[in-house]
Amino acid sequence: MSELIITKEQVKRIAHLCKLQLTEAELEKFSQMFTQTLAVIDVLNELDTSDVPETYQVTGLGNVFQEDVEQKGTLTQEEVLKNAKNKKRGLIVTKGVFDR
Amino acid sequence: MARLNELNLIDALEGLKTGRFTSTELVTACYEQIEQFDPVVKAFVTFTKERALEQAKEADDLIQKEGGKAFEKKPLLGIPYACKDNFSTTGIETTASSNILKGYFPPYESTVTTRVNEAGGIMLGKTNMDAFAHGSSTETSDFFKTLNPWDISRVPGGSSGGSAVAVASDMCIFALGSETAGSIRGPAAWCGVTGMKPTYGRVSRYGVIAMASSTDSPGPLTKTVDDAAYVLEIIAGKDPFDATTSPKSVPEYSGFIKDFDLKGFKIGRPRSYFEIDLEDEVREIVESAVKKYEELGAEIVDMDLLDPKYSIAVYTILQRSEVSSNLARLDGIRYGQNREAFGMEARKRMMLGAYTLSAGYYDAYYSKAQKVRTLIIEDFNEAYKKVDLVIGPTMPSIALKLGESDNSPMFGELMDVLAEPSAIAGLPGISINAGFSRGMPVGVQLIGQQLTEGNVMGVAKVFQQNTDFHLNRPVIKSSE
Repeated sequence: MSELIITKEQVKRIAHLCKLQLTEAELEKFSQMFTQTLAVIDVLNELDTSDVPETYQVTGLGNVFQEDVEQKGTLTQEEVLKNAKNKKRGLIVTKGVFDR
Repeated sequence: MARLNELNLIDALEGLKTGRFTSTELVTACYEQIEQFDPVVKAFVTFTKERALEQAKEADDLIQKEGGKAFEKKPLLGIPYACKDNFSTTGIETTASSNILKGYFPPYESTVTTRVNEAGGIMLGKTNMDAFAHGSSTETSDFFKTLNPWDISRVPGGSSGGSAVAVASDMCIFALGSETAGSIRGPAAWCGVTGMKPTYGRVSRYGVIAMASSTDSPGPLTKTVDDAAYVLEIIAGKDPFDATTSPKSVPEYSGFIKDFDLKGFKIGRPRSYFEIDLEDEVREIVESAVKKYEELGAEIVDMDLLDPKYSIAVYTILQRSEVSSNLARLDGIRYGQNREAFGMEARKRMMLGAYTLSAGYYDAYYSKAQKVRTLIIEDFNEAYKKVDLVIGPTMPSIALKLGESDNSPMFGELMDVLAEPSAIAGLPGISINAGFSRGMPVGVQLIGQQLTEGNVMGVAKVFQQNTDFHLNRPVIKSSE
């Protein structure tokens, strides 16, 4: 298989998806690192998995429900807001999302 | 007589119960050790001394009032422990050794620390780790590097490096850590302590800052297997706050392993675990542990398991994908700093994860990895039809020198190659000290089927009953 290369453009796009800002030098560095890592991962193609199902979790548990009762021990508004830097009238202040 | 901080958990409990010493004396002895040696090895990121001494006083009062009976309700009463910094602790700074969580004081407590605290355990402080548990050396902590007490020019392993060092240096009686793939067993091996990684879902993840949610498993780092069994009994079990916890009842591990008999036990020796690039002395030491088990009455079965190189690839994809999802929630709005504060390692992992999950690449990477994960699980299932446990080296080498991993983008994954298959399959595993190479401890690991922690610890205990490697302690030399 030909070597898969992650270009700087691709790194830029991924960084945008992750809300991270990278310098030109970092773009270069990550492009090299990701290319190296994907080359190692490529070993998986040696294995035939055409009839193999995926395993997303290993507990074998499914549909874990709880009794529909009042939950005690929830946090107070004060506790929830304690770590937020910018708050107003008991709410967290964020940048507008819809009106940009 | 051993100094109080040097005691293992079982002996420390006995001393407290019989009134030979007080919890205040025990906690004070730990802090004296910390104050002398932590400036050298730097295991802790936060101390909670004032609170710990108050709790010790309360424990002493309770013991005075109720005597040995007090321990029935509080099986860890008065016992000082160290806690990895990714366990949320109410009102105590919790950073996972990351800058982005600097100044974060959780409004709630993790289930594991809740259980330990309710059992009377006394937290001495929070221990250093690779930031967000992204690493296998504790060098990627955003704050500082933790050093190996056996040789301070070497790393302790990671990510639970601070916890392993705190135990190895007798700064605490036991410690809490967490493993995604190697983060308990690895540092336990490199620091010469006992590290127990339970079955995925045996111990609640609630309140543990997530790394890869489908394999994260909290567990104890201790001075002996008996101690690990004692702690696991307390922290394991169903938790309504973590739907992935097993509803199966928790066995009394301490009792189960008390007079454990190896007779008729089949221990598998997977060829592929010995054929990878191991240091010669590491191989010899692990082979001699295998031989020891044979002498002690176990049947050793040579067997095949899938080449662990596939697990490196599967684990890299799953872990980075899950990291990208888990760290997406850190926006600096509700808590913590903004995303610019992310360190290099977290950025690297998040971005590759976003790539392997993104449209057009999902099938080739994420889905493919989950399919190979199925193959790895089936491979173990087949193996456990023939053997009860699997034995192998924990790490391919002794602890590396500081900085050796700097230019390897997959250092952690490569070092943890022997922990990854079992982590991916959610199996329990323990690492115990099996000898020394160039003065550094070498770990051997035992891996069992899901929810067979009793057997895993029982077999490990028999080794410790018949050897004394685990009794060795480092002589910490400060740098010139």
